Amino acid sequence: MTDNIAPHDEAYENLRIIRSLMERASIYRALSAPAALFGGVLAVATSAWGYRHSLGDVQSATAPREFLTVWLIILVLSGSLNLFLLFQDSQRRGQSFLSDGLRIAMRALAPPLLSGGMLGAGLICQGGQVVPAVLVWIICYGLALQATMSFAPKSLIRLARAFLISGQLLTAAWALTGGLGGGSSSTPTAWLLMGFTFGLCHIVYAAAVFATKQPH
Amino acid sequence: MIDFSQLDRVIHEKGRLSIMTLLATRERWSFQDLKSNLTMSDGNLISHLRTLTKEGYVRENKTTAERSARPCTIYELTSAGRSAFKGYIKVLEDIIKHSKPS
Repeated sequence: MTDNIAPHDEAYENLRIIRSLMERASIYRALSAPAALFGGVLAVATSAWGYRHSLGDVQSATAPREFLTVWLIILVLSGSLNLFLLFQDSQRRGQSFLSDGLRIAMRALAPPLLSGGMLGAGLICQGGQVVPAVLVWIICYGLALQATMSFAPKSLIRLARAFLISGQLLTAAWALTGGLGGGSSSTPTAWLLMGFTFGLCHIVYAAAVFATKQPH
Repeated sequence: MIDFSQLDRVIHEKGRLSIMTLLATRERWSFQDLKSNLTMSDGNLISHLRTLTKEGYVRENKTTAERSARPCTIYELTSAGRSAFKGYIKVLEDIIKHSKPS
């Protein structure tokens, strides 16, 4: 031990070095590529269906609450598949499902995802503000992915940036155009936004991961 | 009271501590990966790895890289190394538990 440093301080400093290096060195992919592909394709197909319905006669147009319900179902389906694939991957590696990587990822992802989810749902339930709700979801999802950047692979960081940049550009366009052409409660616009962001971005992400031959 | 002589002097050096930490995170590390993560010079890294290998904490394997098919050296912790690293962390934690901050 060095004489001029208290043992407590040196021990603390060495533990800090260990922790920092371990976090930097551990790469954890919180979003499985097959689950992203499944969610992306489902989002594009659902958006196309919702957009066509919303453009039809007023009676059959999807109401904001139906819009919310449909996306909650897609979230549950895609999220469940993602967790199942992460579980399979942990089994294949002989590791615990609740690994340190998953715990750190959940700690990073949960605050922006829960905040954005609640705020968006609130906007839809209270005022039918589907377009601002979608913009909140896009930005908060990007922030959630961005929060994992210290241990996420590059493809996931690029996905985070895609959501953040598109979310900010769309929000600016929404503010400048007074609702992206259809007003804040325009469900056709909201369906399109969901399809282009949550649909296409996830498909591109999955394709990029598959192209590097490291699907998990 | 903590017996400070329990601290493993081989691991306690900052450079070797960093190497042991990285080796504890994954099964296998190439020399290049270690170098880029630790920003150490080749000579420094080789010297520390030699010390750890001599102590029986690290195993060295010469192989060829999967993509480039170039020769590369892979390093991994031995069971003695893993156990020594865990023991070292335990001693650090005990020091923090039993001594007051300055």
